Amino acid sequence: MSNMKQKEQPKVPFQMDTEVDRISNLPGHIIDKVLSLLTLRDAVRTCILSSKWRYKWVNLTSLVFDNQSVLVSSQDPTIIKNKMVKIVDHVLLLHNGPIHKFKLSHRDLQGVCDIDRWILFLSRGSVKEFILEIWKGQRYKLPSSLYLCDKLSHLELFNCLLKPPLAFNGFKILTSLDLQHITMDQDVFEDLIYKCPLLERLTLMNFEGFAHLKIHAPKLTFFDIGGVFEDVNFENTFLLSTVSIGLYVNIGNDHELTLGTTSKLIKFFASLPSIQRLEVQSFFLKFLAADMVPRRLPSACMDLNYLSLRINFNDMDECLAALCILRSSPCLLELELLARPDEQQSSKVAAKNLLEEDYQNCFFTQLRFVKIAGIFGVPRELNFINFLLANSPMLERMTVKPASQDGGYELLKELLRFRRASVHAEIIYLDP
Amino acid sequence: MSEPDVIKPEMMKSYIWLQTADGSIQQVEQEVAIFCPFICHEIHAGMGSSKTYPISLPARVNPVTLSLILDYCRFHQVPGRSNKERKSFDEKFIRMDTNRLCELTSAADSLQLKPLVDLTSRALARMIEGKTPEEIRETFHIPDDLTEEEKLEPLKNITDDPRIRLLNRLYARKRKELKEKEKLKNVEVEAEHVDDRSVDELLSFINGENGDSKEVKTAKNKKKNRRRKEQQKNAPPVCANSNTSSSPSNGTKESNGVSSVSRDDRVKGHCLPNISELLKLQDSEDDRFALDDDFDDCDIGDGIDPEIKEQIDREVEDFARRLNSDWPERVQELLSLGQERRPSLYSINGNGCSTKRSNASGLEKHEK
Repeated sequence: MSNMKQKEQPKVPFQMDTEVDRISNLPGHIIDKVLSLLTLRDAVRTCILSSKWRYKWVNLTSLVFDNQSVLVSSQDPTIIKNKMVKIVDHVLLLHNGPIHKFKLSHRDLQGVCDIDRWILFLSRGSVKEFILEIWKGQRYKLPSSLYLCDKLSHLELFNCLLKPPLAFNGFKILTSLDLQHITMDQDVFEDLIYKCPLLERLTLMNFEGFAHLKIHAPKLTFFDIGGVFEDVNFENTFLLSTVSIGLYVNIGNDHELTLGTTSKLIKFFASLPSIQRLEVQSFFLKFLAADMVPRRLPSACMDLNYLSLRINFNDMDECLAALCILRSSPCLLELELLARPDEQQSSKVAAKNLLEEDYQNCFFTQLRFVKIAGIFGVPRELNFINFLLANSPMLERMTVKPASQDGGYELLKELLRFRRASVHAEIIYLDP
Repeated sequence: MSEPDVIKPEMMKSYIWLQTADGSIQQVEQEVAIFCPFICHEIHAGMGSSKTYPISLPARVNPVTLSLILDYCRFHQVPGRSNKERKSFDEKFIRMDTNRLCELTSAADSLQLKPLVDLTSRALARMIEGKTPEEIRETFHIPDDLTEEEKLEPLKNITDDPRIRLLNRLYARKRKELKEKEKLKNVEVEAEHVDDRSVDELLSFINGENGDSKEVKTAKNKKKNRRRKEQQKNAPPVCANSNTSSSPSNGTKESNGVSSVSRDDRVKGHCLPNISELLKLQDSEDDRFALDDDFDDCDIGDGIDPEIKEQIDREVEDFARRLNSDWPERVQELLSLGQERRPSLYSINGNGCSTKRSNASGLEKHEK
C-alpha cells in the first residue's frame, strides 16, 4: 500500500491541472468571439503568445482601426500617415478569410489615397459594414470601387465626397446609411437613395451639394436629418416611424406666400402615415409653418406617441403649427417642447395673440409626460402650459425648466395657479 | 409516499434528471434547467423525466461547471430582478480561476446558453486586453513555445527588413551584458544603474571589446535547471532603459510598420524602472541565455551552422557600426511607444459619446 502511494504521488497531476492551458483549447468560435471583443491591437498581439495562437487573429471578421486599436505616438502628420498606412496594409495582408466589418476612424489620419487601395481590396470580398471617418482635412473622395461593394448592409461615411460611377447599380441589400459632413450632387443623392431599395435607417447630417431631399425609400423606418436644405419630400415611405428632422438655417419671415399650394405641414404629415416618434428641431417647425396652417391635419397621426418640438413661442405661425400637430395627435403619450429664443424681435408678430378658441376642442386623452424647457415665462408660454394642463386628464408629470433664473419665482406662482385636468399630475420645476 | 398529509415542496415543482459525461446523475428543478436551450430541447424530445432516462449532457459539461451554470440560471430565471441586481450578480459570478472560467465558457457554449457565453467571453477578453504577452501567458498558463525568430516573423515578413533581425541580436547582446552586470552587482539592482548603460557602451561592446564569453559559460554552468517555459520571448528591448538624447528620425520608423501593433507591448513593463520587474527580467534572461548557449550562442533559431553563425556575428558587428547613428533613434522610438502605452489604456477617445468631436478640424459627429 505504502509503495503504491509513493509511486503515485509524483504522478498526481493535480498541481499540473491548474497549470493546464485551457484557453488555447477552447472551441474556435469562442476564441474568435473573445478576440472580437478585443481591440485590433490586442487581438493581433496574441499571435506571439504561442504556436496555437499564431494565426488565430487572422480570421477576425471585424477590423477596426481607430485610436484605441492603433497607437501612433507622433504628432507629425507624415509619420502618423506612414504608420497608419503600414499598419493597415500589413493587417490586410496577413488577414485571412472574410472581412465583415471594416472601420477606419483615426483622429489624426487625413484622407490619403491609400484608402482607395483598401476599399478596392474590400470590394473584392464580402464586406458588410464599412465605416470611414476622416477627422482631419478635406473631404475624402471615395474611389469608384466603393460602389462595387454590393454586400454592404451598413455604410457610414464622415467627411467624404461621393461621386458614384455612371454604372453604379446601387447597394441592393444596404439597410443602414449614415452620411455626415458629406458632399454630393443633387442627382447623385436622389439616385443613391433610390438605388438602396432595402434602406431602413438613414442619417444625414451636415451635407453639401444638394438641397432638395427627395427620399424614395419604401422600407425606411428611421430617418435622422440635420442640415441646410430647401425642402423635403417623402415618396413611398409608408413605414417611416421614427423621424428626427432639423433645419439648421432660419428661413426668415419674409418668405413669399405660395397661395393655392397645399400647406407644407399637410404635405409633410401626409407622407408619414406610420409616424410614431417625431422630433422637429432647429428651424424646421418654422419651415412647416411658413404656409397656411390648418387647424387640424386632414388625417390624424394615430400612431404618434412621442413628439418633440423646438419652438419659438413668440412666433405666431409656429404656435399655430404646434397646435395643429397636437390637435391631430390623439394618441400622444409624451411631449417635449424646447423653446427657441427669438432670433429677431419682430413687433408685428408679438402684437398678435392666440385667440381663446385656438385652444378649444382639444383633449389629450393619452398624454402622460410633458417636458418644457428653455422658457422665459412670457404670457404665451404660460398660455400653452395652461392649455396642456387643462386638457390632459391622464397627465402624470410635467417638467418645467426655464431658460434663466430671472423671473423663476413669478413663473412658479403662475404654474401653481393653473387648473389641472388630471388629479395625478405633478409639476416638477427644474432649476436652469 | 409515507406521509400523505405532508406536501413536500419538491412535489410542487417538477424536476428533471441530468447526466454529465462522468456518469453522475443529478436531479434539477426543471424551471431552472430549461434556461439552457440544449436542455430545453431535450425535455421537449421527452428526455430527463426519470432517473432511468436522464438527459445526457455534452462532454464539455462537468459536474462543477454544471453546478455553476445552474447557479447562474437559478438567479436569472427569477423574474423582476433589476438590471443592476443582475449586473452585480454577474460581476461576482465570474470571479473565478481563469481555467475554471474557460471550462465554464466551453460548457455554457455546449449548452447553447448564450448570455453566459457572452458574459464569460467578455471576462476573458478583459483579462487579455492591454496585457503584455508575458502577462497573458502567465494568466492562462499558455506555453511559450515560439522561438524568437517566429515571434518576429509577422514583422519580418511584412517589412522584409534584415535590420529587425539584426537588431534583435543586438537586443540579445544587450540583455546578456545586463545580466553580467547584474551578476556583478549581486542582486543590488537599482533602476538608475540600469539607465546608466548607454547605447554607446553597448555599441563599443559589440564593436570589439567582447570579453564576456567566458562569463557566459560560467553562467551556463550555474544554470543546471533550465526551465524552458520561462524563456523570455520577443527580445525585450532592455536597451530601452538607456537614455539616449538623440533627435528622432523617421528613417527607422518607416521600417517599423506593424510593430506598433504587435511589438511595442514588449517595451512596456521592461522599461519601467521598477526593481521587481527588472529582477524578474533578469531571472528570465538567465534561463534564456542558458538555452541560447545550447544553440551555440545563437539567439535566432535552432541548429544554425557555426560557420553561418560566425558570418551572422560579423554581420551584426558591421551592422552595429552602420547603425551607430541610426539606432539610438530606434530606441527613442521604442521608448516613446512604451511611454504612450499606459495612458492609452485609460484614455477613451470619445467614440462612445453621442457626439463625436474632432478637436483639430472642428468636425462633429452626431449619433442616435
